[in-house]
Amino acid sequence: MIETIFFEEQISNHPTTERIRKALPRSTWVPIERYQELFNKRHQNFKLQKKNPALILAKKHENFVLPVPSGFGMDSHKNFYFSHMYNCLYDCKYCFLQGLYSSANFVLFVNYEDFFHSISEKIAEYKGKSLTFFSGYDCDSLAFDKLSGFADHALTFFETFPNVELELRTKSIAINSLLQRKPLDNCIVAFSLSPSEIAKSMDSKAPNINRRINAIKQLAETGWKIGLRFDPLIYTSNWKNLYSSLFEEILNGLNPSMLHSISYGPLRFPKKMYKKAASLHPEQKLFAFPMEETKGIVSYGKKIETEMHDFLKSELNKYTSENKIFQCTI
Amino acid sequence: MSEFKDPKNFAKTQFNFCWVIALRAEAIPIIEAFKMKILDNQSLFPIYANETTGHALIISGIGSIKSAAAATFLKNYLQIKNYTAWINLGIAGFSRDPIGDIYQAVKVVSKESGAVFFPGLRLSKLLPAETLVTVSKPESKYNEPVLYDMEAAGFCELVPSFSCNELTYVIKIVSDTANSSSTLITKNLVRDLIEKQLSKISAVLGQIEILVQEEKRRLSLPDEVEDFEKNFRFTETSKHQFREIYRKWKIMFPTKRLDPSEFLNSQPKDIILQLEKEILINAENWNAL
Ligand code: SF4
Repeated sequence: MIETIFFEEQISNHPTTERIRKALPRSTWVPIERYQELFNKRHQNFKLQKKNPALILAKKHENFVLPVPSGFGMDSHKNFYFSHMYNCLYDCKYCFLQGLYSSANFVLFVNYEDFFHSISEKIAEYKGKSLTFFSGYDCDSLAFDKLSGFADHALTFFETFPNVELELRTKSIAINSLLQRKPLDNCIVAFSLSPSEIAKSMDSKAPNINRRINAIKQLAETGWKIGLRFDPLIYTSNWKNLYSSLFEEILNGLNPSMLHSISYGPLRFPKKMYKKAASLHPEQKLFAFPMEETKGIVSYGKKIETEMHDFLKSELNKYTSENKIFQCTI
Repeated sequence: MSEFKDPKNFAKTQFNFCWVIALRAEAIPIIEAFKMKILDNQSLFPIYANETTGHALIISGIGSIKSAAAATFLKNYLQIKNYTAWINLGIAGFSRDPIGDIYQAVKVVSKESGAVFFPGLRLSKLLPAETLVTVSKPESKYNEPVLYDMEAAGFCELVPSFSCNELTYVIKIVSDTANSSSTLITKNLVRDLIEKQLSKISAVLGQIEILVQEEKRRLSLPDEVEDFEKNFRFTETSKHQFREIYRKWKIMFPTKRLDPSEFLNSQPKDIILQLEKEILINAENWNAL
């Protein structure tokens, strides 16, 4: 349970705030003026804060929808992302959020209606173009959904724009809000996955891979389009066997018509984020590998990346057509 | 000063808890509970410590500025490390009875400057949370549903930079309310109020110590590194590079030890190169899990 909730006074009567107040009546509720008073301040310790994060309820005022960095998503589409939340319930060792923020508290922007307003403006601006909106860039799209109720709002909104895609990216198995409604043709539920052994060691607090695969199959069976995201790819001895077994496990038995796309992306960090993540987990084997640095980006280096790319591509081609597979390069 | 231990001798001491307390009457129960002895009562602020229990304490006097100044003095005097927890404990006014209740201040507001601080991780299983307003003159009206003190804002402004915000705690015990005026506060009452909460305070320290130990593990430099570095002429930059490579090397070869005799006549850059080479060779079959 979340023990402490800081809420901006200006949204204390917002329906989302009320909903959360009803769900967490015994938590301590502390009024604040703006979320920046306590989020991402100097001298905060992400790792310690992660042990008992507070929830901050806030109102977002600007930058609701942003273009995704190039290399993220399918190039044929104009891609945008939005973050109704900062930070995540889970604690993956490679998560870039730990390098991005000094704070592990969750910020939930309760004014979903303003996000949707901005999205409709973008849709109007790019009328006739293939658009995809990604949720889950600065958070996990579904992990917090029981409390936030965001997915339901988002799906109701996107239902009215059948030509525009919404991608919900997640490691969560909190799929009830999806199962309870008719599947949306323009929504992709994209699961981030790693081989079981890797996930066990690195995806702390996230549902294990079997449970994620079950959720995928359940959603596919009820008609939801599925995205598979093998990102970040982790290099370890025996990686080829680990990844091929994972592909077999997921893709055998998954109705191919329900598979929207598969993407994979190598482990990469901006240098500053890598340093910060390594300093938070100095004992982590992930941060002991002799990574290479090119133009401020820390990675396994071209040789390993190419080897992984070639292998993954040829393995994935066994299961699905080439046009459904793409590489994420950020 | 001669009757006291030379502060230089504390450089290696690991204090897990540093207390910054305004009044002697507030400090005595803590000093006694953790068996601290006076180190220096001739300096600006009396300092108490016990190396075995890992506690140090400074009596700051009343006021925000004094609290911040005393904390800085203690940090420098005992060369306190960056994984130590800092606690501002004391009495406070409150809008609600009864006196004697104990709270963790999760939001601290300076009435004077308007600055707001959010110290510590929540310890809600042990202490209820409250907002605290730091005032420059004693509060007698208790109009707002908040705690009132005269130090915490100064403490919170500075102390998170010593370790981190999550190792900075403000704990207050109610000493006066609208129904129990601050004019009734005596030294004995203060001592009594704090003594009665000692078992809760100990439980809180148990929780905080888990965080301290975690940070200690993360930030402490193994003796092996310090001993090794003494044998070579590292510059600040090469020391930094060496430590980063050592960290990786040690994860890859947890049972190996760095032996200076294997690097006789080597320059720091040769040492770094050698470790890098060993890491690279091992990386081919690296098990990252
Ligand atoms: S699920 Fe994603 S956002 Fe959450 S901790 Fe893991 S990598 Fe980060």
